[in-house]
Amino acid sequence: MAEPTPVQIFHTEEKRMQYRSGSFFLRVGLLVLFLVVPFLFPSFKTVDLAMQIIMFATLVASFDILLGYTGILSFGHGMFFGIGAYCVAFLIGKYGMPSYFNLALGFITAAVVAYALALLISFLSLRVKAIFFAMITLAIAELAIVLATKLSGFSGGEDGISIFMPGIFAVSFTLGDLMGLEITGRVVTYYFILLFCLGLFLAMLRFTHSPLGRVLQAIRDNTQRAEALGYKTFLFQAISITFGCVVASIVGGLYAMWVAYVNPESCLGVLTIMLDVLLMVIIGGMGTLYGGIVGAAFLKISQTFLPDLQNLAKGLLPHAEFLHNILERWLLLFGILFILVVVFFPKGVIGSVRDYMAGRNRVRG
Amino acid sequence: MAEAMFRRWGRELTIAGAIVLFLLPLIGIPGKTYLTLTIAGLAMGMLVFLVASGVSIIFGLMDVLNFAHGALFAWGAYVGFTVFKHLMKWVEADSVLQNLAVFFLAIVAAMVVVALLGIVLERVIVRRVYGSHLFQILITFGATIVLVELIRVFWGPNDEVMTVPLTFYGNWDIFDIIVDRYRVICIVIGLIVYGVIQLILKKTKLGMIVRAGVEDREMVQAMGHNIFLLFTGVFAVGAGLAALGGLAMSIFSLQVYPDMGGTYLLFAFIVVIIGGLGSVTGSLVGALIVGLAYNYVAYLVPWAAAGVNIMIMIIILLIRPTGLFPAGK
Repeated sequence: MAEPTPVQIFHTEEKRMQYRSGSFFLRVGLLVLFLVVPFLFPSFKTVDLAMQIIMFATLVASFDILLGYTGILSFGHGMFFGIGAYCVAFLIGKYGMPSYFNLALGFITAAVVAYALALLISFLSLRVKAIFFAMITLAIAELAIVLATKLSGFSGGEDGISIFMPGIFAVSFTLGDLMGLEITGRVVTYYFILLFCLGLFLAMLRFTHSPLGRVLQAIRDNTQRAEALGYKTFLFQAISITFGCVVASIVGGLYAMWVAYVNPESCLGVLTIMLDVLLMVIIGGMGTLYGGIVGAAFLKISQTFLPDLQNLAKGLLPHAEFLHNILERWLLLFGILFILVVVFFPKGVIGSVRDYMAGRNRVRG
Repeated sequence: MAEAMFRRWGRELTIAGAIVLFLLPLIGIPGKTYLTLTIAGLAMGMLVFLVASGVSIIFGLMDVLNFAHGALFAWGAYVGFTVFKHLMKWVEADSVLQNLAVFFLAIVAAMVVVALLGIVLERVIVRRVYGSHLFQILITFGATIVLVELIRVFWGPNDEVMTVPLTFYGNWDIFDIIVDRYRVICIVIGLIVYGVIQLILKKTKLGMIVRAGVEDREMVQAMGHNIFLLFTGVFAVGAGLAALGGLAMSIFSLQVYPDMGGTYLLFAFIVVIIGGLGSVTGSLVGALIVGLAYNYVAYLVPWAAAGVNIMIMIIILLIRPTGLFPAGK
C-alpha cells in the first residue's frame, strides 16, 4: 500500500479523536439537555424558549451554509422561512383539513417552492456579481411581505392564519403521565421538531464536510483560483444556495407547527426574522454551523429575559430615565454589539474559541 | 446574429423599448390623467435618483455597497422635520420668501448634519472593511440598525406629521391639467442636482480624479492623490444627497417615521441595478423608469404596483446584466 498522504493522515487522526474530544461530549450533553427540558422545566415559557432555540439554531445553520460556507449574503432567508411556514399553514389550515397527509404535503410543497425560487434567484444574480444577491433577495423579500399583506384573500393578509394540528400533534391529544409529565400534543410536537431539526442539522454537517462542501469553501476563499482549478463556481454556489434555502423553508414549516399561527410580520419580516438570524450567525460565528446554537441561545434567552431586566432597572433605579430609554430600545444595544463583533471578532464565539484552543494546543506542542 | 445585434445596440434597444412601454399606458389612461401621472412619476423618480446616485457613486468609486443609505435618508428627513418645528412661524407664514428661506435652511441643515454623520460612519466603521463586500454589507446593515434606533431614541418611535410651508401646497391648473406644485419643485431639484454632479464630474479636476478612481483606484493612488480623503468626501456627499432625498420625500408624503429609509433604499437598489452600478446617468434613467412605471401601474392595476419594479429589474438583469450604463470596472 502506498504511503498515506497528509490529508489521509489528517482524516484518520480526526476519526480517531472523533468520539473522545471534549467538543464531542459537549455536543452530546447539549442534545441530552434539550431532550430533558420538558421533564425538568415543564413550564410553557422554558419549553417554548428551548424550542425557539432549536429551530433558530437550525435556521441559522442553514443561513450559515450560504454566508459562512459559500460567502453569499442573502436577505431573503427569512422569506424562505416564511414560505415554508405559509405552505404548511395553507395545506392544513386555509385550504385543507388537518391530517398527516396534508402536513407532509405541506412540507413537500414548501421544499419544492423554495427550491424553484432559490434556483431562479441564483440564476438571476450570480450571473453578474455575488453582491447582487444581497440586493435582489432584499427586494424580493420585501415584495413577498407586500404580497402576503395585500393579497389578503389568498394569504389571510395581516390577520394571518391560525392552524390546528392533526392527531398526535393536536393540543388536546394526551397520552397520560410519564414521570410526572403529562404527555400532551405539545410535548409530542416538541420531540418531533427536535428530532427533525437534529436530522436537518446532521444533513447540513454532512453537506459541509463532503467534498462538495470543501469546494464551496475553496470558492468562498478564492473564487478565481477555484475557477482556474476547473470547478464551475456558479453551479456549486447554486447548489449550496438551494440547499440552504430548502432547509430554511422546512424549518419554517416546523415553526408553523409549533406556534400554530402565521402572519406576514412574524414569518416573512426582514426586520424580524432576518435581523435575528443575522445577529445570531454573527455572534455565534460564521462558517461553523455550531455557531447557530450559541447565537440562537444567546439572542433568544436575552430577548426572553429583557422585560425582566427592564422591570429590574425600573425597580432599582426609578429615576434613570436614560437607562430606561436605552433598555426600551434594546435593538440599539444589539446593533452596537453586532458592529463590534463584526469589527473585532469576525469569527464569532465559536470561531474565536476554536482559534484559542488551536493556539493553546500549539503552545503545548 | 440577433445576439450580436443585441450586444451592439442593447442600450439603445432597451431605451427605445422603455419609451414604447411608457407610451403604452396611453391606451388605458385618458390623456390628461396620463400627464398628471407622468409628472408624479418624474417627481418620484427624481427623489429616488437623489438616493440612488449616492449609492451608485459610493459603489463605483469605493467599491462599497452602503446599506446604511436608507438610514441616512431617514436622518435627513428628521433633521428637516426638526428645523421646520423650530421655525414654525416661518413655516406657517403666508410669505413665499419666508417659506423658501425655511425650506433652504432645512435643506442645508439636513445635508450638513447627515454629511457629518456620513463622515463619522466612513471613518469609524466602513474604513475597517474595505475590500470585503460581505463585511461591508454586514457592517453597514449593523449601522442601519443603530441609526434607526437612534432616531427612535431622539425623536420617539411614532410617526410624526410633517408641517409643510404653505407655498408648497396646492396645484397649478394648466389647460385643465392638474399639476401639483411640489412635484415640479422636486423635478427641478433633481435636475439641478444631476447637473451639478455632472458638471463637477466632467469639468473639474476633483471630478476627473473621482472618475479616474472609478476606473482604476491603484493608479490614482500611484499618481499621488490621497484616495482615502477622496473616499471620505464622496461618502459625505452621498450621505448629503440621501438627506436631501429624505427631506424632499417627507415633504412629499407629509410624514416622517423611523423606518422610512427601508422602502427607498430598496428603490435605490433596483435603480442602480437597472442603471448600472457606478453611473450617475444610469441612476437618473433608472430612477425615472422606476418612478414612471410605479405610477402608471399603481393607477392601472393597484395591487401590482409593488412588483412592477422588481419585474423590470429582472428583465434588465436578463438582457443586460451589467445595467443600462455600466461604468468603470
